[in-house]
Amino acid sequence: MKKKFKVALAGNPNCGKTSIFNVLTGTRQHVGNYPGVTVESKSGHFEIGDIEIELIDLPGVYSLSSGSPEEEVVFNELTKEGIDLILNVVDSSIPRRSLYLTTQLAELHIPMLLAFNMSDDARKRGLDFDIPKLEKYFGSPIVKTIGRTGEGVKELVAAIAKTLKALPAHGSPMLTYGTDVDDAIEAVADKIDALKIKRFAHIPSRFFAIKLLENDSSTAKIHDFDPVKGEVAEQIKHLSKSHAIDDAESFMADRRYAMLAGACSDAVKTTHERRREISDKIDAVMTNKFFGLPLFLFIIYAMFFFTFTCADPLMGWIEDGFGWLSDTIRDAWSEDTLPFWRAMVTDGIIGGVGGVIVFLPNILFLFFAIAILEDSGYMARAAFVMDGIMRKFGLQGRSFVPLVLGFGCNVPAIMATRCIESERDRITTIMVLPLMSCGARLPIYALIIPAFFAAKYQAAMMWLIYVIGVVVALFAAKLMRKTLFKGDGEVYLMELPPYRLPTLRSLMLHMWDRGKMYLHKAGTIILATSIILFIANTYPEKTEFSKDYDALVEQVQKDGKANNLSEEKIEESVAELENEKSAEALEYTTSGRIGKFLEPVFKPIGFDWKLTTASIGALAAKEVFVSQLGILYAEGEADEESETLREKLAKNYTPLQGFCMMIFSLMSIPCLATLAVLKREVNSWKLTIAEAIGLFVLAYAATFLVYQIGTILNIGTKLIS
Amino acid sequence: MKENQETKNATLADLPVGASAKIVKILPDMRGKKKFADVGITAGTELVLEAKAPFGGLLRVRVLETSMAFHSEDAKSILIGTK
Repeated sequence: MKKKFKVALAGNPNCGKTSIFNVLTGTRQHVGNYPGVTVESKSGHFEIGDIEIELIDLPGVYSLSSGSPEEEVVFNELTKEGIDLILNVVDSSIPRRSLYLTTQLAELHIPMLLAFNMSDDARKRGLDFDIPKLEKYFGSPIVKTIGRTGEGVKELVAAIAKTLKALPAHGSPMLTYGTDVDDAIEAVADKIDALKIKRFAHIPSRFFAIKLLENDSSTAKIHDFDPVKGEVAEQIKHLSKSHAIDDAESFMADRRYAMLAGACSDAVKTTHERRREISDKIDAVMTNKFFGLPLFLFIIYAMFFFTFTCADPLMGWIEDGFGWLSDTIRDAWSEDTLPFWRAMVTDGIIGGVGGVIVFLPNILFLFFAIAILEDSGYMARAAFVMDGIMRKFGLQGRSFVPLVLGFGCNVPAIMATRCIESERDRITTIMVLPLMSCGARLPIYALIIPAFFAAKYQAAMMWLIYVIGVVVALFAAKLMRKTLFKGDGEVYLMELPPYRLPTLRSLMLHMWDRGKMYLHKAGTIILATSIILFIANTYPEKTEFSKDYDALVEQVQKDGKANNLSEEKIEESVAELENEKSAEALEYTTSGRIGKFLEPVFKPIGFDWKLTTASIGALAAKEVFVSQLGILYAEGEADEESETLREKLAKNYTPLQGFCMMIFSLMSIPCLATLAVLKREVNSWKLTIAEAIGLFVLAYAATFLVYQIGTILNIGTKLIS
Repeated sequence: MKENQETKNATLADLPVGASAKIVKILPDMRGKKKFADVGITAGTELVLEAKAPFGGLLRVRVLETSMAFHSEDAKSILIGTK
């Protein structure tokens, strides 16, 4: 039996924690969500000899208080029982700032190991550590590491093994914050001890005493401590009266920094001061008042170009691959054995899931590009540059990149909102994101615009649709901030880490993470909707048709041969008949019936039952709108290049209706995948359902207005040629 | 009277780009006081105003050898004494 240990990885944001985590666990990682919040949880496994270690990668935080959902998660995880060791990653190039968290972790009296990471940067800066002195100070062994290159990791692993084997002998630090404060801590700690709270028996009362004294909300929420609150107030009053402290909320921060300043002056020597000159030089350009914005726009454009150009051939291969797969199955599986399952597998499952997996290269390349921006440190600069503009619409700098990504595909764009730290800003961004017209909606515009609008208006029409999306999104964001997510918002405090060259390893891991997530979705929700849609589009099956199509086909073939018509001509007529048959069959199916049933509802926005059916199908994925219309208008395998389908649309609808189709497609839910990922990211069914209904109401209202006003004013009711 | 004295004091929002200063006091009603304190923005800390964002609002401040970005609205609560 291997011995199992639980190790928590803690550290500041940008301290290189993730690269240490990656080096230790490799791809044996599990990414999830903490319940109730949108904070990502990450854990991994690795083994050292005969011990097995579960490594929990806690979110990066500056402090153990509760200023953000991340801090709350770290607080809760670390005060839970079962953590055998804290591995605290410290950016040793900025010791005073990074050790601040360490002073709080040390108070937990959980055995701790310090990784003095980025030790190359520290050396370059001329920092020289008296390691034995620091080890004694924090009561924890210290290992110097360079997470990016993996240097020092061997020593780190050895230290982890050594520490875990001798846990009971592990030292614990005695930190002092000045006699006045220490006395207050002791007084409160004594009162806590008297309470004998069982579930916190493993944590020294001192830790909670400090938290209560500094008015920490995570601790204040724990009602077990209610009885000592009088003592806490008394001590604070006493400290304030004697002018020992200035402010009850931040005095502990002052004291910790003062303590660290003392410790650092003792154990850290600066031989020569060299600032991060290169990084500063890059920033002088990147965040420049004049060049900053154009540069940012160029980088985003380059990222788009990279994503879509490089992914294109791969997507073609995947598409061909699935086509080949379904053809092979069709050939091997005779039409007479289990025809329903044959069609379900080839058309329903392979068609539906394949249609989603096709976008995988896009997702992978996009996240590769995002990982470069994140890991290099540029994302923080982009947010810095864009913040002013986005704030005018109730969003923030970090919202911009996900919104732009939304033009490609809403699904990865919503996943990309993880970089927004403020929960409220992130949710607002996610909620308006579906209004960014994604790539899947493009086929709809590409079908409709040439059908109804003269060549000279086509580009402007396309532009107009995209602009409408953006404008509505920005106003929706503003509106949401004024109603749903009111208030001042969280304090914006963001670090601009020095530029670093991203490592291939971390880029690949990041890409793999997101890709896995996407594939998982394709295997679950998309699979399920594909099956449901397939059934709805097939059943109930029509057996009695208005015409005897089989006989008609035979007739056409016979007549054709008799009249010496070309093969092509005959095939064309046959195809027309077959399409007519499938249209009739579709009308009879569940989808067709639902469309018919809902027709009165959609009539005021200019939709007949066929458009209604297509819109319902488009819930699964927007491209389905085009293929559904193709089936309904008996065009069989229609795509956006289908000339005959365009002619039929032009014959049956007005340009106004065409415009309405586009507006409706733009504003309603892009696809179920978007909704599913939205649910995952906002972590709330209520908001997800509200979003689905909200988008529908918005789409309906906008289309209604356009159609009704257009009809009254007689705009676009006739084809202009 | 104390209020008057404080408003006369220069705040971080008044500091020109490139200049450095020492924090004298954090106003008690500052939003997210603790969050700022956690990254070292407390009385006695040295600051350098590195840059201002293109469309107003954000400041970029070096504190404890790291660059932090935050709003000038919040910077108004940070009283400074220039060297």
